[in-house]
Amino acid sequence: MRFDDLVRVSLRQVVRHRRRYLGVGLAIAMGVAGFISIITMGQDVKKNFNEDLAFIGGVTIIRNVMELRPQFPLSKFHDDTVQAIRQIPGVTVASLVGLTHVKGNNKGQEEIFSVAAVDDNFWKMRGLKAETGVLFGPQEVKERQRLVVLGKRLAQSLFGTEDVAGRSLELDHDIYRVIGVVGGLRDINMEKGLFVPLTTATDRFAKELLLDRLYVRCATWDDVPSVAAAIPKVVAAHQSAKNLLVEVSWENLEHVKRVAFWIEFFIYLAFAATLILGGMGIWNIMMAAVRTRTREIGLKKAMGAEDRDILAQFLTEALCLSVMAAFIGVIIGRVLVEFLGLWIGMRPPEELFFTCLAFSLVCAVALGVGAGLYPSLQAARMEVVSATRYE
Amino acid sequence: MDSKRAPDLNPLIQVADLTKIYHNGAGSIEVLRSVNLEIYAGEMVAVMGPSGSGKSTLLYILGLLQAPTSGSYCWEGINLLKLDRGQQAEFRRRRLGFVFQACDLLENSNVYENLEFPLIYEGVERQERPPRIVEALRRVNLEHRLYHSANLLSGGERQRVAVARALVNRPQLILADEPTGQLDRRHGHLVMEHFEEIAAVGDTAVVVVTHDPDIAARCNRVCPMEDGVLYGIK
Repeated sequence: MRFDDLVRVSLRQVVRHRRRYLGVGLAIAMGVAGFISIITMGQDVKKNFNEDLAFIGGVTIIRNVMELRPQFPLSKFHDDTVQAIRQIPGVTVASLVGLTHVKGNNKGQEEIFSVAAVDDNFWKMRGLKAETGVLFGPQEVKERQRLVVLGKRLAQSLFGTEDVAGRSLELDHDIYRVIGVVGGLRDINMEKGLFVPLTTATDRFAKELLLDRLYVRCATWDDVPSVAAAIPKVVAAHQSAKNLLVEVSWENLEHVKRVAFWIEFFIYLAFAATLILGGMGIWNIMMAAVRTRTREIGLKKAMGAEDRDILAQFLTEALCLSVMAAFIGVIIGRVLVEFLGLWIGMRPPEELFFTCLAFSLVCAVALGVGAGLYPSLQAARMEVVSATRYE
Repeated sequence: MDSKRAPDLNPLIQVADLTKIYHNGAGSIEVLRSVNLEIYAGEMVAVMGPSGSGKSTLLYILGLLQAPTSGSYCWEGINLLKLDRGQQAEFRRRRLGFVFQACDLLENSNVYENLEFPLIYEGVERQERPPRIVEALRRVNLEHRLYHSANLLSGGERQRVAVARALVNRPQLILADEPTGQLDRRHGHLVMEHFEEIAAVGDTAVVVVTHDPDIAARCNRVCPMEDGVLYGIK
């Protein structure tokens, strides 16, 4: 039997018996669609998931501090060190932070303010948004503007409101313009403090300010161990790392990873169950087809079909069914990927989609052959006389 | 037609001492007992007998659908029983045509597709198939039903399509198992007319298994069969 005839006849059978094959086909299609959307969007969803988890436990944030140790002089992070840390694979944001206290004037009363000198990366690193007004960006940092962003509690205590944009505040005998209030800090001390552009602070509070903290955010929790291990080496390559302390919330990280593992496990389990059910469906439906088409098998053998022709036909039908279902699954998967991409605002790499597509088709072929082989062998081994006399 | 059995011609088929014994838990059943038969090209032979006499078994053995317990079955001098399963299948699709009692057509397929299968198995090129299918249908006066669904044909039409399907690969021997068993008298005789034409026009031999004396009477030879024994030639 020629290959084109084999495919044509098998496709015709599947199409003509489409109602019989509908359930199984849909199960395979949904499994493939789920697989494609999970794998293709997995990295992006994981990234988003990481960000969300970081808000809760900060498990992807590595805190690096130059500790005050009696035997070593005070030290700070150098610019080239910070730049080198930003180049470590798996690092998305590195934010240098300096903390100090500055005298200020509040309605004629002298007051000491907790000041955090940060750049725009700090907001990204902690996922912070302006509660009111705006937060300063790279331009303001670059231009060393005299701006402050207040913590919520400080805004309330100074002005009795959080709507403080446009007001001014005297710090170390200079007037600073308040541009907004930052929300989502989840740290009372920070909510009582204020934020000044890093460049402005280094210019004006140079004596008091020590840039001894560097917060590093990793792309995923899987990157945390390698980044944490790389930081001391990178620091040592650029400056003294003798009083460097690298802090990672390992317990929280393990907990989050455990939760994520189970979520992933159940998703893959659902995918595997769908494919297994699809395979069992193909097996069942092909066995039923062999039974109901016993006379047809006998007739075809009487017409001169060899055992291998019958085997090939039933096997090709199983393959056509699984591959057609997989194609439908690929289309549904593509739509899902597009939809999810729009929803979470990300665009997965096309190569990943095509890799998934190829893998799904290979799976579909394996499923068709695996589940269709035994019924096809049964059909091929059928004795002609009993088949033609089958009622 | 007797002229076609002239002694100077070699028979197409020679069956000698053919026996078939079925074994089951209760014992053995001898379905065919030392059957001897010669069939010549262009001849129409009826094997007639009551149900259970072994005529269908003989037909299946002649069609290489079943193996005998002993005996020989030669086709133009070649012992077909020595061919392996694949070679027997190849022989079936090149030399034999079958017509079964139950008007067996492939359901969910149209007439063209039913007739195409023997050609597919024979490896005939796609462009050569339509003329051969139309030619076979013309011989049973059904060329106007080319693309009709097999499910929508009448009993008589279905059996004529089955005859056309048996003809489409231009066989040398047609084996028909009670081909008129499910047809009324008029349609039964119509099918037999087609067989007569087929045998008369070409060198195709036709073996018809029947228990209907009227149908058997239309053949050149009638071989009565009872309890597995093929009696003398009428």
